[in-house]
Amino acid sequence: MNTIALLELDQLQVHYGSVQALAGVSLRVNRGEFVCLLGSNGAGKSTTLRAISRLVPATGGEIRWRGGDLAKVPAHRTLRLGIGHCPEGRRLLNRQTVAFNLELGAYLRRDRLGISSDLDRCYALFPRLAERRRQQAGSLSGGEQQMVAIARALMGRPELLMLDEPSLGLAPKLVAEVMGVLEALHKQGQTILLVEQNAQAALEIADRGYVLEAGRLQLEGSAKDLLGDEQLRAAYLGQ
Amino acid sequence: MSAALLQILLNGAASGGVYALVALGYTLIFSVLGVINFAQGALFSLGGYLTFLLMGGRIGVNGALPGWHLPVALPFWMALLLAAIGAGVVALLVERVAFAPLRRRGADPLLSLITSLGAGVVLVNLLQILMGAEGYAFPAGAAALEGLPEALLIGGARIRTVQVVLLLISAGAVAALTVWLERSRTGQAMRAVAEDPTAARLMGIHSGAIVRLAFLLSGMLAGLGGGLIGLSVSLAGPYFGISFGLKGLAVLVLGGLGSVPGAIAGGLLMGLAEALIPSAASGWRDALAFAVLFAVLVLRPSGLLGRRLQEKV
Ligand SMILES: Nc1ncnc2c1ncn2[C@@H]1O[C@H](COP(=O)(O)OP(=O)(O)O)[C@@H](O)[C@H]1O
Ligand SMILES: [Mg+2]
Repeated sequence: MNTIALLELDQLQVHYGSVQALAGVSLRVNRGEFVCLLGSNGAGKSTTLRAISRLVPATGGEIRWRGGDLAKVPAHRTLRLGIGHCPEGRRLLNRQTVAFNLELGAYLRRDRLGISSDLDRCYALFPRLAERRRQQAGSLSGGEQQMVAIARALMGRPELLMLDEPSLGLAPKLVAEVMGVLEALHKQGQTILLVEQNAQAALEIADRGYVLEAGRLQLEGSAKDLLGDEQLRAAYLGQ
Repeated sequence: MSAALLQILLNGAASGGVYALVALGYTLIFSVLGVINFAQGALFSLGGYLTFLLMGGRIGVNGALPGWHLPVALPFWMALLLAAIGAGVVALLVERVAFAPLRRRGADPLLSLITSLGAGVVLVNLLQILMGAEGYAFPAGAAALEGLPEALLIGGARIRTVQVVLLLISAGAVAALTVWLERSRTGQAMRAVAEDPTAARLMGIHSGAIVRLAFLLSGMLAGLGGGLIGLSVSLAGPYFGISFGLKGLAVLVLGGLGSVPGAIAGGLLMGLAEALIPSAASGWRDALAFAVLFAVLVLRPSGLLGRRLQEKV
């Protein structure tokens, strides 16, 4: 491909102390694409996102954003560059209201009108949050909290939206709702990198996928191919 | 209300205001880092001495430069403001040497209790080398309060003007800080860092800068308290801030760790409780302060307005 990828990992390595969590991961996300990163617990999915957000340092390889090296960028600058990260475990400010959490997502923005129209957009996307906007985030159900986390990430208007297991711990009906929202966002042009253990749900809506195992990529391909892959079906889809 | 009672209440509120300043200083740092800065008392001393020097006060015979004084003699208000800023800058330095290296290395935050205590001891000893161990009274007639009578009659009660000034300045500072934390964008960022620094960074907040801002502000609060007490009582030696630091710590726990309204309420309660003790029995004041603390904690382990203690998830 001769176009510059929006995001490109080249032989990325990450260590936690002496433990190697990523042993050379290469992947790319093109503008407008919906890519999913699959793998079982402990495979290194969250570490990959944390390395992209600069929450953990890369110990080898390169992370390129719009062709430029991300190595020197501190974590608080990544959103400014267009990388939004809806982290593992949601990390809401539980003692603050839903509205405060969403407004915090737009912390870097100064366009009051844009922010308020994006707030309306988020409440339209997740109507049950609208009724709860004055409630403490910690008092919401798990599914609602996940919606706040996604909406908060959207409020930063990221060029790339990275989500870490948004379906974790949700009832099947809510999983479908969340995946539906991601699919709709993608149709509106949002570039998405989705980390999931729920391979089936992710592959049904993604363009392409990568499968990570013990810090290494095992498989990659179009979502359609991966859904039909024998190896993947046996390992992750329980069939 | 009898004039005597009013007098007691106003005096209590005045010292309570200073306790609230100190406790708020602890609160700011506790909420963003989850630790106590034990150098706070030393910064309180520093604020007092800086105010004294900026007003043109002379170093005494036991100091490093006996008889020396700054070539300026600022009015109290200005000296107090500059001293607060000075204490804030030194607080930044304390963060640099006693907190930042530990955080960089991922050390147990509890270790900073020792490093900050050490920084405080160094600071107090530097003051002692420079100024000697003797006490200092602010320049005669509290030059700054020129034009105001020594005492005011309020509702029949005779109140020292200094006490009123003390109350107004500390109340003003506390109110300004509270409103700012509640309303401003930076206050919003500070609350975010306090609750989840990682989430805050992902929202584009520079958590390191927010931590430094918390140190600057808390040093300024301590410095302000030191200057105010210097004016209303005197500087009773380089260690005088330490006892206020301890009292502030008691107030912090009394009000509820990390709670801004708790620090204010705790400060006032402590000041009022002390003021109720007649000055003939003033030796009992500290004992009472800690007895109040003890009683409150038995009844409400999380403090007056603290959140109920719970596991962080
Ligand atoms: N903070 C940490 N310290 C040490 N090891 C960690 C840390 N976080 C993750 N790991 C290890 O790194 C590996 C990858 O973890 P992670 O990226 O969280 O996997 P996943 O998100 O795919 O479940 C695991 O072996 C995990 O135990
Ligand atoms: Mg994970």
